[in-house]
Amino acid sequence: MNGALFRHTWHSQRIRLALVSFGLLVWGSLLPFIYATFGSRFKSLLESGLLPQQFARFGGGDVFTLSGSVALSLIHPIPMILTSVFAVGFSANAIAGERQRGTLEVVLARPLARRSLYFTLLISTFGFIAIAIAMVLAGNILGSTLSGVLAELPLRRMPLVWLNGVLLFGSFAAIGLALSSSFDRAAPAIGWTLGIVVVMYVLEVLGSLWPDAEFLQPYSLFHYLKPRAVLTGGAQAFDFALLATVIVVAMAWAIAVFPRRDLAAPI
Amino acid sequence: MYAIQTVGLTKRYRTIPALESLSIEVREGEIFGFLGPNGAGKSTTIRLLLGFLHPTAGQGRVLGLDIVKDSVAVRRRLGYLPGGIALYDTLTGKQQLDYLAELNGRPPRRRAELCERLELSETTLERRVRDYSRGMRQKIGIVQALQHDPDLAILDEPSEGLDPLMQRAFYDILEQLKAEGRTIFFSSHVLSEVERVCDRVAIIRRGRLVAVEDIAGLLAKRRRNVVMRFDGPPPSLERVPGVSNVDTRDGRLTCGVDGDIGPFLAAIAGSRVTDLTIEPARLEEAFLELYEETREEKPA
Repeated sequence: MNGALFRHTWHSQRIRLALVSFGLLVWGSLLPFIYATFGSRFKSLLESGLLPQQFARFGGGDVFTLSGSVALSLIHPIPMILTSVFAVGFSANAIAGERQRGTLEVVLARPLARRSLYFTLLISTFGFIAIAIAMVLAGNILGSTLSGVLAELPLRRMPLVWLNGVLLFGSFAAIGLALSSSFDRAAPAIGWTLGIVVVMYVLEVLGSLWPDAEFLQPYSLFHYLKPRAVLTGGAQAFDFALLATVIVVAMAWAIAVFPRRDLAAPI
Repeated sequence: MYAIQTVGLTKRYRTIPALESLSIEVREGEIFGFLGPNGAGKSTTIRLLLGFLHPTAGQGRVLGLDIVKDSVAVRRRLGYLPGGIALYDTLTGKQQLDYLAELNGRPPRRRAELCERLELSETTLERRVRDYSRGMRQKIGIVQALQHDPDLAILDEPSEGLDPLMQRAFYDILEQLKAEGRTIFFSSHVLSEVERVCDRVAIIRRGRLVAVEDIAGLLAKRRRNVVMRFDGPPPSLERVPGVSNVDTRDGRLTCGVDGDIGPFLAAIAGSRVTDLTIEPARLEEAFLELYEETREEKPA
């Protein structure tokens, strides 16, 4: 890991990180408030049959329970998009974007090994994601406190929810960075990473809303984000291990490919 | 020890050759020009030396270190100016130089002097790079390559975008670095600047080394264009060694003279010469002649 590159990376992303963090904090605090205010009414509607049962299954999240609200605060498209600023946008652009602009060769002309560059960017990306997920959960705690339902939230299990979220978005970031280290231009790296995330998201949501498509869910990494199960004491080591394995495989790819690649003159 | 030494250095992209068996030696403390048209293999050579590309065959050593195994150690001791340098547009000039100096891990002890000579004021350095002109970007590029006082500077088309005054300042910087024992590896297609600053020059064409010459040697080999006027019968030059393309009409004689000019001067000594012009040696012509010779020897 390189200290100068690490500082430069964090400095260049500081405004984006602040905006994303603020957005996720607000979003995270909103869902416990909705649960506290309208949760019982939504539940009555659901039990009356006016709302389809699938409404309670969106990606494993809902607004009828506090644990479901926490799950929804992570799986909803809004946190998905905000967290993807780093998990997809930053990671996929980090190497390929610099390469395309020509700044990568200015950096690599210094005594900096490609592996060191890769690990510095990987650690930075994980740092951004860790903060982003922490802000959602901090928002959950804030919203629960303000809505007077904090007692329902098993706080000691929140770090495990955080780890689950970091591993999920971290796996997308590791894939993005591996693709970024393999391409000469940013567009294909971003396109492929975004494509993978969108397809997996669709598989998971489709499987959660349509029983006939449930068999698709295990093929989606989102299926292994289970905040509700973690909060209710049903966390499974397999979910965490699978996400960690994806990260390790993506890292192995990048470490094998990037240092051996020819970096011809930028086009 | 050589600053740069390559033996049979080759780079092919699948079957397409970019550099074929390059063997050159750059002595420590010299300014070495690396000449060739666009696409000749100059940038490929530089990228091989820096470890950006992996050689298909052959070996290279920079400052005694292997370019593949010791790539990071090599880059610790050199400064590099890429052709058409890309900078971080959102940073100021100073932030840019600070960041790159920090990555070098060596204090930028030459920065103040370089900025002064290239007329980069404090005010300019506080501006964002996106507001810089091409010339100012190139100046930042030169400073970032040399600010940490490297043992070897690899400069790819370094004077591009500089106005004539700044070019002169840049040449003075190179002279000073040379006087202090630093080595400069200088890629260019501007022959006049190579002629001005370099001690030796390698000429590369289509990935192959055409020649490595002292600048003085290259110029001595070049053909001089002679124009002279005379009274009376013209001197007989047809059989004089080194003289060619003799054309005489209306009391005016033109010819080319290769190599030693002594036999030519001896041949015209008996004539009444009223005017004599010998065009000054230009590297361009020597370069083009060398290319022509290579073309004739190895038709493409």
